Amino acid sequence: MAEQQELRDEELVALSQQGQRDCFDVLVRRYMEKAFHIAFNFTRDTETAKDLSQDAFLRAYANIKQFDGRSSFYTWFYRIVVNLCLDHARRHRRVAWESLDQMAEESGEQEQFADSTFAPDEHAIAGETKRRVDKTLETMPKKQRTAFLLRNHQGLSIADVAKVMKTTEGTVRVYLHRAVAALRQSLLEFV
Amino acid sequence: MKTSAPLKSACKQYEEDLVLHYYGENSEGERHSVERHLADCDPCRLFLEDLRKLLPQITQAEEMPQSFWDNYYRETVSKLTSYDEKKYWWRSFFAPMRTWMVPAFGSLAAAVLVVGLMFGNDKLNLSIEPRVERIPQEILADKSQLEFFESMEILEALSKLEAQDEPKTDVINHDAGRAAMPGQVA
Repeated sequence: MAEQQELRDEELVALSQQGQRDCFDVLVRRYMEKAFHIAFNFTRDTETAKDLSQDAFLRAYANIKQFDGRSSFYTWFYRIVVNLCLDHARRHRRVAWESLDQMAEESGEQEQFADSTFAPDEHAIAGETKRRVDKTLETMPKKQRTAFLLRNHQGLSIADVAKVMKTTEGTVRVYLHRAVAALRQSLLEFV
Repeated sequence: MKTSAPLKSACKQYEEDLVLHYYGENSEGERHSVERHLADCDPCRLFLEDLRKLLPQITQAEEMPQSFWDNYYRETVSKLTSYDEKKYWWRSFFAPMRTWMVPAFGSLAAAVLVVGLMFGNDKLNLSIEPRVERIPQEILADKSQLEFFESMEILEALSKLEAQDEPKTDVINHDAGRAAMPGQVA
């Protein structure tokens, strides 16, 4: 196992394709945090993010023989994670909006409370920032959000984001710019 | 909370380049062009400063404890194992077999096969019974005739014997005839 951890992704994938399950386990350990975080950024729920990202590993494993190595493993794998997250978002849109409304109400209550009694401290600002980011991301067109999350949160290059989203780099640049502009608009008062 | 100041935008033609500049995704030529523009444009400089303050805040991921990741890894591996078990269910039939049993059974099967082939081809004859020469079929077809001729010879011999015994028989019969007719006048 220790030797396998030294192997590159391509080598681990090739061995997994030959039926060496323990090599795929190394890939799980290598990418579990990234997979979880990207799912969490989409769902904002720990349990759902865990289930979705684990499901992505299962799908990747089930289809590992179809992976032809034209892209890197992580690009291929992120595409699976992102597609699962988008499918989940489609199925649970109603629920997401309900929780968003609830968050907005709670946010309003806190604003009144803060305005009348206490000066906002750093913790409150951080909480408000998070809520506003969540709200902006939630209302953002899906492709913009996906491009932004992959570039900003996951650190993928624009070229890799384009591969994951099966689009051009120029389109990703436009999505990224619009997403950043929207977030800047919503967060400007906290700067 | 309300927005306290109107939002200052960057120059429209540079806004996208500034975002790419922040991510370090623009080409060298674009980067020089943006840097030259930033030296003379306050709104664009402010826009870039906003990005440098805002975007790292958004990136902050929730830190999960190590126990969470240990549990996550265990669960994922367990799910993968369950998948393997469902997909390769037939392997469970061979699960009790140890590694040494496979070559052992293989050797045994090979030996049985070789012995079977040898006996099947009649190349290995271990019987010590003497070989009995078989009579050709055409000869067997005349067997009944042979017996017939043999029986004919016996009959011939019998007829010869009868011929030898015949005079005596005639005398006896003649004497017997006389005795049988005592009242007859010759």
